[in-house]
Amino acid sequence: MSCGKTLYIDYSLCIGCETCEYVCRFTHDTSRIHMTRTVDGVMVPLYCLHCENPKCANACPRGALKKDKDGAVILQPMLCRGCQTKNCILACPHSAMFETDRGVMVAKCDMCAQRRQVGMGPACVEMCPCAAIRYVDRDEIPSLETEKSKQAHQKVLEHLKMPGK
Amino acid sequence: MDPINFNFLCSEPAMPNGRSVGIIGAGPSGLAATGYLSCLGYQVEVYDKLPKPGGLMLFGIPGYRIPKERIDLGARRLERQGGVIFHTHTKICCSGPLHDEEGDHFCREILGFGDMVKKHDAIMICTGSWRSRKLGIPGENLPGVFSGLEFLFPIRAVKYSAPNVKLPDVQGKAVAVIGAGHSAIDVAHSAIHLGAAKVYHIYRRTSREAPCGSFEIEQLKAMGVEWLERSSPVRVLGEGRVEGLEISRPGKDGPETIVLPVDLVVAAIGEVATPPFAKELGLENVRKGEVRWLHMTAIENVFVAGDALSGPSKIGKAVYSGLRAARSLANWLDLKAQDRLDAYDYNDLVANEAGFGRQA
Repeated sequence: MSCGKTLYIDYSLCIGCETCEYVCRFTHDTSRIHMTRTVDGVMVPLYCLHCENPKCANACPRGALKKDKDGAVILQPMLCRGCQTKNCILACPHSAMFETDRGVMVAKCDMCAQRRQVGMGPACVEMCPCAAIRYVDRDEIPSLETEKSKQAHQKVLEHLKMPGK
Repeated sequence: MDPINFNFLCSEPAMPNGRSVGIIGAGPSGLAATGYLSCLGYQVEVYDKLPKPGGLMLFGIPGYRIPKERIDLGARRLERQGGVIFHTHTKICCSGPLHDEEGDHFCREILGFGDMVKKHDAIMICTGSWRSRKLGIPGENLPGVFSGLEFLFPIRAVKYSAPNVKLPDVQGKAVAVIGAGHSAIDVAHSAIHLGAAKVYHIYRRTSREAPCGSFEIEQLKAMGVEWLERSSPVRVLGEGRVEGLEISRPGKDGPETIVLPVDLVVAAIGEVATPPFAKELGLENVRKGEVRWLHMTAIENVFVAGDALSGPSKIGKAVYSGLRAARSLANWLDLKAQDRLDAYDYNDLVANEAGFGRQA
């Protein structure tokens, strides 16, 4: 039984070229994936992993974050509107909820919901020159991991960790 | 491996719309624009001096970072699905004397720009940044001194059997690499793979400031590269060929100079944009940040995108710029066909967008 689709980035393949970020920005106006780097230079695109048990959805006081039929965690703007707690942003362990200056002030990846409706995949995945970001079944991920990708992922987790935690 | 999908904006090709666009340069910005326009039914013809579409994604960045087949197959998909026509080995004349830029030796055909403007409804220039920055020190014209691109380019290009391209001869030699960007790192890696006896890596600041990050530098050190930070090249020594490199670095009592006994010097210190007809097209304004979103004032159906517009940057920015320029071009042609050009936004300045225009 499949547990839904998600995005998977192999950080060891990412060269930090920012194609994902700019393609997202072109497609959605406000980018929902952001390139950062660790202190020692590992490139880290911050992205939504569409968690099985999403902390953002649990933290949302209005139930504005819901899973869709493919497994994407979707932000419903009409419910979100007016909320000032920003609980979702604080709750996300992957720093993948973004505060913006437009609309409901929060932007998050919906795995290109409108594109999926017409049979296309997430735009970032289509255009990544390195094939570092993939649109996969969640249970496929273990078979995609390599020694190098795990090492790079570990570095990224240390980078994302809140100081003192 | 799935091909990169430059046609990512449409699920199937559109009906031909009867318009033709010429795109000069098949790098990331050119191919992104090609994908956008072919999705709308434009007949797109792409001109590139190199033997294959892909630009520096294929010829500058090593294959272990960007898989060759992903780009290759992506270009083929554009041909099959989008009906795109690629003219490789073709240069549109000319921003400088031929053989002035890296990769010019591939040209078999040179087309005049004027003919292009007449042949197509609109032109987009996506020629990127192909002229290497110079060190500006004595001895830098000696044989044995390379730019980063001069050194890296043949390593990929030699596979396409161009008679004038040969691998840099580093077997058993000592090499000095200058710079700490990703291409400098790639040069050092390549030098080791090609059998260099000794590689010195010279950078004017410390590994903490290096654009490539200290992780890459630690990996180089582990491979045996000698990392010399806070060091600047002063002069290249030698008669007729490189015999050494004099560098200056901080010593106990002020700066000291030492001589590295090297046979090759590779200065991977960046490139500058090489747009054709920079003056005629008003591209000198580029650096002043006065460029409008991709509409050229001097020749109205000529657009520009990517590094040629905004200087060397990342692939992502080039892609975005190509997409924006393509949208702008399509808008302009649509409005022109309806005789409504006054509705076109000529004042969409690149500089108005946060994080764009000049390098942050």
